[in-house]
Parts: sequence; C-alpha cells; structure tokens
Amino acid sequence: MSRFSIERPLPHGGRLIERVVRDPERAKKMIKGCPTFDIKPTLHYETGVPVRNVYREIMSICYGFFSPVEGSMSQAEVERILKERRLLNEWIFPFPLVFDISKEDLKKLGVSSGDRLVLNLKEKPFAVLDIEEIWEISDTEELAHRTFGTPEDNPEVVKERFDKKHPGWVIYKSLNPMVLAGKYTIINEPIFRSPFDRFWYPPRKAREEFDKRGWRTVINHQTRNVPHVGHEFLMKNAAYTGDTEPCNGILVNAIIGVKRRGDYPDQAIVEGHEAVETGGYIKSDRHLTSICLWDMRYGNPLESLIHGIIRQNMGCTHHMFGRDHAAVGDYYDKWSTQILWTKGIPSFGFNAPPTDVPYGLQIRPQNMREFSYCPTCKEMAYSETCGHKREKLSGSFLRGMVAEGVQPPVIIMRPEVYKVIVKWWKHFNYPFCNEKYVINKEKELEVDLKDL
Amino acid sequence: MADYFLVVLLDDSRMAKLEGSGLEKDIKYMFGGELRLIEVHVSDEIKNKLLNTFDTARTDSRNAITDVPVAFMRELFNQVVEKKSLGDEVVEAVLAKADEIKELAKKESEFLPVPELA
Ligand SMILES: [Zn+2]
Repeated sequence: MSRFSIERPLPHGGRLIERVVRDPERAKKMIKGCPTFDIKPTLHYETGVPVRNVYREIMSICYGFFSPVEGSMSQAEVERILKERRLLNEWIFPFPLVFDISKEDLKKLGVSSGDRLVLNLKEKPFAVLDIEEIWEISDTEELAHRTFGTPEDNPEVVKERFDKKHPGWVIYKSLNPMVLAGKYTIINEPIFRSPFDRFWYPPRKAREEFDKRGWRTVINHQTRNVPHVGHEFLMKNAAYTGDTEPCNGILVNAIIGVKRRGDYPDQAIVEGHEAVETGGYIKSDRHLTSICLWDMRYGNPLESLIHGIIRQNMGCTHHMFGRDHAAVGDYYDKWSTQILWTKGIPSFGFNAPPTDVPYGLQIRPQNMREFSYCPTCKEMAYSETCGHKREKLSGSFLRGMVAEGVQPPVIIMRPEVYKVIVKWWKHFNYPFCNEKYVINKEKELEVDLKDL
Repeated sequence: MADYFLVVLLDDSRMAKLEGSGLEKDIKYMFGGELRLIEVHVSDEIKNKLLNTFDTARTDSRNAITDVPVAFMRELFNQVVEKKSLGDEVVEAVLAKADEIKELAKKESEFLPVPELA
C-alpha cells in the first residue's frame, strides 16, 4: 500500500451502533407486560398532511446509519446540539431527534422514566423505547428556528428567516410537546417492500459488500432524484478523486422518506439509479444503489453533516457535495455546504471544517460544481473547465418537460431512466408524487411487519 | 435582483401556432437542437405572486420558475400566441385565470396521461 492510500474510516463515534434483536424468543421476553404505543406520523401543524414518521429515525438509529446516536434525545442533548451541533458524548451531530407524543397520549400511557414502552408499527410490535427522561418542548416554533438557524444568529449562511414553506422547519414546528427520551431497540425486523428490499444496505451489510467487491475507496452520491445525465457526469467525474487511483466504487444512497408533492416517487428514484448501471453508463462492478430511511430536513449545510455521518457509517471514504446541497428555497447560501466542508461555519459550532475538529468526521468532502451541456464542445462539460456558454439544466425543469409528455433528449436523460419513470407513471397514473401518493405512502410505508 | 423566467417547450403543433406571431426570433434551440423553447421573463413581483398562487411552484438554480401546473403551462402558451408577446402582461393574463387553472390542476394531480414510449 502506498502511503497515500486512504483506508476505510471507522464509523462515526468509533463503533457501529446496532440495536436489533433478531431472536423472537428474546424479543417476546423483552416486551412482556410492557405498555404499548402505536407509532403515528407527525402531521403538518396546519394542513394535517403527514410530514414525518419517527419509525424511519428508529430504523436509521438501530441499524447504525446515525451512529453513535442510540435513541430519542434528552433535553440536555437537544440543547447541546442546538448550541454546538454535538452530542453529549462530544461527537458532532446536526439535528435533534426525538420521540414526541401529545400530552393526552402521555396521560393515557401513564409511563415514566425507567419504563419500557413497546412501539407498534402497522399494528405489530416493532421496537422498544427504554425511557430515561420525559421532557417538554416549550415552543416547537422556537425549536424549529434554532434547529435550522436564523439570519441574525447564523449570518454566514442563513439568508432568509425560515417559515412554513420550508418542509424541514415544518417538521420541527409540528412536533408534539412531550418527548420520551431513551434508547431504541428494534425487536421485530421489518421486511422491506419491493423494490426497496434490494437496495437495503445498512452500514454493516454495506461494509461487507464493499469488502466483497474489493472497494477500498468509495465515493457517495446523495440523491433524492431520478438521475439525469448531469448527475451521471457528476458521479463519474467525482469518482476520479480517490487516492492513488480513482475511487473503487460509487455508492448512490437515496434518502427515502416522506415525499413532497412534485417529487419523483421513491420507487422511480431507486430504479432510475439502477438503470444507469443496467444501461451500462456506469459499470455495475463500480456502482451500487442503496437507501437510507430519513425524512429530509432540507438543512443544506446541516443536512450535509448527517449525510457525511450516514455515509461514513456505511464505509464511504468520500462524499460529493454540490451546489444547493439538500436545499429547498433560498434560505441558505447556495454554497453553504461547501463553505462548511472547506472553512467551517463558526455560528454552527464549526471554527474549522467538520473533518478538522475533535470528534468530527473522517469522510472526505469532494466539492463539485456542475456539469451541463456545451453546444460548442458538444458534450457534457464541467462548469469550471469549459469556457463556453453552456446550457444549464435543472431537475425541476426536467420534471416540467416530463409532465408535459415530452421525452427528454438522450443527452439530458438516458432512455433507460426515462423508461423507469414511465413504468411508475403507469403504476401510479402519475409521474410524480401527488397528494394521493404522499398519503398512501405514509400509510403503507416502505416496510411490512410479521407477527412476533 | 435576479431575472426569473418560465420555459415554454415547443413541439411541432406549437411551432405552427407561433408562425407569424413575430416571436420566431425568440425561439431557442438547446441540446444540439433537440429541444425548442421560448422563455417568458417575469418581474420579481410576478414571480412572488406566482409562487404564492401555486404551492408546488419553485425556482430552480437557473432562476427558472418550475413545477407549476401543466394547465398553467398550456394557458401560458395560449396567452403568448394571443398577445404575441413575452412581457409581464402574458403571465398576468394567465394569473387572472388562476382559479380556473387550480380546478384543472386538481384533476391533473390525479391523472396525467402516460406517454407512448418510442
Ligand atoms: Zn465548451
């Protein structure tokens, strides 16, 4: 090995969190005589539409995507995160994660700290929460503002005050006031529905898969979109960053969670990325599509931190970050994620990049600009290389084209990918997520459970 | 202040309707000629009005206004042809029909015809 070779990093926090009991007998013993609670989606505080389901957080915590987080956070931990973006054990973490319930539900349950609560999903036992503390969120709107930052407190990157047009802000604003803090343990492993099942690579399995494929260096591509050719070029070219050779693998990790109207269906997103591979645009021995359950907070630089954590835990050595990373609207500076990973954002607790602070991350940022079609070069060209006027393309422009029934040219979207969109369009009578899809999805979720 | 715009895609039948409108010079060819379109630029005020009227609407990295109902885009083209213009008055005329468009959008959010694959 060259001294320039990069080794796969340890999970964030030093060890992978795995809180899954696979022995049903043991599980049955664990829940005997315990009170139960049916997990409910978080509903938009005004419209009542589902905006989050805590089951996804429980999954991502218990399978180690969010290592070293082990459960719903205590009040002191949430405070620490809001002030310094660190857990009580010092490791950096961007977002409060809580199991919130209404005062009425708490009263009905009558639980207190020290109790074990069984959490049902789809009317089947799913996980337990060992309650260590019960605390109250005094003002969810204040929590929402502090979670994402404000132009006054975070002038480096926050450009506009957050409001109800921001879906992440709405999640925190819509939380129930009472928090049951404590560790989660999954006691009945959910079974993923098709097509999600074949993309399920929790951190341990992802690391094993990388070993099998001989991938030492792996670059992650964050996605919540059906890939167009711009994404494909970003992936292919970012992968040239490696150590003494390009990265061995490209991990596409799709964030699967609550949808917004107008998004592509999750099914089309994962199969669309798979089509890049089956179409041969990126060889399958260099490309892997995977999922992580998470209701996107659209926190741009903060979201990039959780992305870094998830993908380091999965075993990636590199992470691509682009313009408007995990952003919606103009709340943050377009480049705030890249600012975080190159300089840090002091007001969020980072005087240096998150890779250069104690208890920080090891995954390496790969800050890319954009690829777009250059009519002079007659190819997809890199914004910082090509000196011509290029034809920029955005995902939402493409969506408009699709909605009007116009098949995008091959240089914009591969026909194999478009075929996937049409496949799910037929299935749902609609190419994107509409209200019906959003509501059904939150009813059906991505998983089913068996009897314990 | 950013320059916001809407993109009207042109297929053969729309190209025919534009004939003689005086707007032919505004037609843009993109992606090696594979895509024909015209851009309707709007003021900041109209952009905001649009985003507030249609809750799916957003602006993208090029400052294009996207994710408006297909019915909106159809009416936008009609108004371009009728007014033979690409000015603010075109979008204002479309916004005047917002209620009608929202009704249509409700239906189109349940169903959009699946295109035939070539
Ligand atoms: Zn060029």
